[in-house]
Amino acid sequence: MDPKDLLYCKTHEWVHVAQEGGAKLATIGISAFAVEQLTDLVYMELPEVGGEVQAGQPFGEVESVKAVSPLYSPVDGEIVAVNSSLPDHLETLGEDPYDAGWIIKVRITDDSGLARLLDFAAYQKQCAEEG
Amino acid sequence: MLFDLSQPGRRAARLPASDVPHVELNELLPAEARAETPPPLPELAEPDVIRHFTNLSTLNMSVDTHFYPLGSCTMKYNPKRNERMANLPGLLDLHPYQHEQSLQGLLELLYELQRYLGEISGLPAVSLQPAAGAHGELAALMVAAAYYRDLGEQRTKVLTPDSAHGTNPASARMAGFDTVTIRSTPAGYVCLDDLRAKLDEQVAVLMITNPNTLGLFDRQIAEIADLVHERGGLVYLDGANMNAILGIARPGDFGADMMHYNPHKTFSGPHGGGGPGAGPICVTEKLDPFLPAPVVGRRDDDYFLDYDRPRSIGRVRTFFGNVGVLVRAYCYIRTYGPDGLRAVSENAVLNANYLLSRVKHFLPVPQGDRCMHEFVASAEHLKKEKGLKQPAMDLAKRLLDYGFHAPTVYFPLTVHDAVMVEPTETESKQTLDAFAETLFRVTGEAGEVLAEAPHSTLVSRPDEVRAARQTVLRWTAEQPAS
Amino acid sequence: MAYLFNTPEDQRAMLEAIGVSSIAELFEVIPAALRLNRPLNIPPALSELELSQHVQRLATRNSPAGQSVCFLGGGSYDHFIPAVVDAVASRGEFYTSYTPYQPEVSQGNLQAMFEYQTLICQLTGLDVSNASLYDGGSAAVEAVLMALSVTRRSGKVVVPASVHPEYRQAIATYLANLDAELVTVGTPHGRVRLEEIEAAVDDQTACVLIQQPNFFGCLEPLAEVGQIAHRAGALLVAAVDPISLGLLKRPGDQGADIVVAEGQALGTPLQFGGPYLGIMACREEFVRRLPGRIAGQTVDRRGRRCWVLTLQTREQHIRRDKATSNICTNQGLFALRAAVYLAAMGPAGLRETAELCLRKAHYAAEQICRDERYSLAHGGPFFKEFVVRDGQGRVEELLADARQAGFHAGVPLGPWYPELQDCFLVAVTEKRSKSEIDALAGCLAGSPSDCTTVYA
Repeated sequence: MDPKDLLYCKTHEWVHVAQEGGAKLATIGISAFAVEQLTDLVYMELPEVGGEVQAGQPFGEVESVKAVSPLYSPVDGEIVAVNSSLPDHLETLGEDPYDAGWIIKVRITDDSGLARLLDFAAYQKQCAEEG
Repeated sequence: MLFDLSQPGRRAARLPASDVPHVELNELLPAEARAETPPPLPELAEPDVIRHFTNLSTLNMSVDTHFYPLGSCTMKYNPKRNERMANLPGLLDLHPYQHEQSLQGLLELLYELQRYLGEISGLPAVSLQPAAGAHGELAALMVAAAYYRDLGEQRTKVLTPDSAHGTNPASARMAGFDTVTIRSTPAGYVCLDDLRAKLDEQVAVLMITNPNTLGLFDRQIAEIADLVHERGGLVYLDGANMNAILGIARPGDFGADMMHYNPHKTFSGPHGGGGPGAGPICVTEKLDPFLPAPVVGRRDDDYFLDYDRPRSIGRVRTFFGNVGVLVRAYCYIRTYGPDGLRAVSENAVLNANYLLSRVKHFLPVPQGDRCMHEFVASAEHLKKEKGLKQPAMDLAKRLLDYGFHAPTVYFPLTVHDAVMVEPTETESKQTLDAFAETLFRVTGEAGEVLAEAPHSTLVSRPDEVRAARQTVLRWTAEQPAS
Repeated sequence: MAYLFNTPEDQRAMLEAIGVSSIAELFEVIPAALRLNRPLNIPPALSELELSQHVQRLATRNSPAGQSVCFLGGGSYDHFIPAVVDAVASRGEFYTSYTPYQPEVSQGNLQAMFEYQTLICQLTGLDVSNASLYDGGSAAVEAVLMALSVTRRSGKVVVPASVHPEYRQAIATYLANLDAELVTVGTPHGRVRLEEIEAAVDDQTACVLIQQPNFFGCLEPLAEVGQIAHRAGALLVAAVDPISLGLLKRPGDQGADIVVAEGQALGTPLQFGGPYLGIMACREEFVRRLPGRIAGQTVDRRGRRCWVLTLQTREQHIRRDKATSNICTNQGLFALRAAVYLAAMGPAGLRETAELCLRKAHYAAEQICRDERYSLAHGGPFFKEFVVRDGQGRVEELLADARQAGFHAGVPLGPWYPELQDCFLVAVTEKRSKSEIDALAGCLAGSPSDCTTVYA
């Protein structure tokens, strides 16, 4: 996926929304900037398929040696897929954050959260300020 | 490694033969309960054990061997007389369920210690039960929860400043509260506006460290306490920094309702490589009924364990408390007396300010020219100057090469690249001078030298990422020996 | 002053460097109204000699084990401590150091922690141990909290009455502020009945906590309770006596998911209940929910094997209110003592110690019950402790008489178990000789002539 086409949370998650059989499907990951800031990742905790997520609420965690970062969902919905190979291949998050590094897919029940997200330009601006 | 030394059939300890009439084991213990072989422990000779652990000990820095200015840990000298006293058989070999009548000397000591701690804190009701500072925080928050239950009030929140030690919010959560963070001002004090905005009738307790983690006395403390009390809340004082104010100011006088001591810091109990500590708590009279039971009581000339406390939160551990640590604290307080304890804090503050005055010229101290018992400098400027990613860590590591234990680094998080120095009162001007000179020299060294430090220790910069990713948490026989 | 070393000349120079005229000026940041304007009301300073005399006087007003013969147990035991334990633990490099925040100058502590963890795994049969908690009771609490977290169940925690009453009290204290309910299953026969555990456990149960041997000294059907717990998706938490593991099957081999123990028996003096050692170990899969510090092996930048504190994101200094526990300071020195004790004992020494306890305890039970006034309150196998019922129900007077005769004869059970008002708990370690046991039995039988032959 082209990072320019994605929407971003202030907390550095990206989301891609597609139509799939009448429902909206969100693919969620974390940005290259976030992975770089977290430095060496050592662990990841993922939810299970079938679980519910809520916009603004954490659904998992990534850990470096001395920090824990919750992963926040940008939308409400049901988790339909989890990239369960990630915890054993954390390097994927750094090498290919926008494709192979996707984290969960969610069937959206409420997408009003999307309106609050940043587009690529706005997100880049935020990263420049933080970096 | 201990396990590499093991040889089948070798042993250190030999037990005497049984002197009671022989009975077959099967008659004493059913076969299905017994293991066929004892646990697969290593088999060693006595000199193996001694040599192994003695050699290990030489790989540690310690207060007995090095200056140890580890901020917020109060690594003061551990008096040898206290060790001797705590090891007297008449104090060491007492069983926790002995009858009170066979414990009068110890109970008198503990009763007196309760009184001293109450007097020093200005909070007269004392429990010696908690096992460590964090345990004391938790016990006190449970006391607060019980107090509000008793009043019939529903209070769900505990406020902690953003600069608080991590145990504060963790303890609050374990006591069933939600935590709300209060901002600090750039100068390191509680932001009163933020406090006002977050104070409501749901707030049970404000936890505050004063002197705070930046080594500063928050002058607003009485006002802060008034604000909390006006809304019916309680003020908890984290006593981690009591070494700055012994005999000079008392938490009970500046608005605290509850506090804990760290006797292993303030009252010189040795830190034991990570413990034991103790975490006695002191509270106001209105909270007294809720303290953990038992406390030591006195009836005429008899001391007793008072279990008759119907509103008590109950126990937070087994047995009375970390008595060994408390005996050392008692000895320490008796050694100094009222003038001496005050002199402890005066010299702790003098030493810290002196070191600050020497260090600030080359390692900026963002919070200013004065401090209490410790100060927090910032190594941030070395990032650009020397191209270092973690300059505080690099300084810390390089100090080890020069024979100084490192200060605390990267805490508190509110100061960038924090270097937190607590010299304590038991160091002389000459040691402080040597440390300041070394620190100065180190800040002048090349970036590469710092980034790869320490150079002289047996190991350097362990790979923590590997340790966390490919966890090896015990020795197994399959491991290649090295 | 005892440990203050700046001379007046030093102080003057320091004040000048700071730029103040007096120490008092340094304290002016504290508003005058908040300062204490009188001396503390505590006794005046004592010299080392005076302190020694004073504390020795206090100490002589106690009756330590060694002066009186100690048959007290209930979680704290008068076991033998080999001299090597004291020799190692009294090294200043160990006892005056702190938490290994700088691994380069703490490899001694870190390696000792790692070896301790390994020894605890060997002892319990579990995969992972932490580097110690406060004591057995708070370790039991932490195990319960951990089980709630692992199972994501917040309904109930099932604990039989045969678990140490102070463990149960501590659990109740902690759970009072949380959602989970403590369900106590009665044990009128001195050990659990499987059908009662079965009835108490349901799909909201996070764990069953069993003590083995239990508070009364009796053996529990640990493996069977574990099967009941596991069928319901609950964990089995076992609180064990580490000395008993010289003889008994290891809890890890019997289905325990988390093991806790009071580690005092492993080389820690009685010292009136603390500091002791909280042992805690668990299965590998739960390691991220394990509270407390953990040492892990790694390599340094030159490739040399070494040790660090690891998995620190579990802990309060990083995760704050979401940490697995608030614990920070632990019992490092007593974990070290336990490591040295186990290394000195080895498998053979531990087995012999356990066997001596077992044999002497059974001999003592038999001798005491030769007088028909006394009987064992519970049938079935026991290890080193047993409950004696006094047919005359005069437990308090009896124990007072024994005290006069130089015995700490037992722990009265009435305060915890009203139905055992006429009972007391007797513990017999490897240190008790036959003649001490005979003398106790004689004393309890009310035979003054036997009471005079106390010392073996």
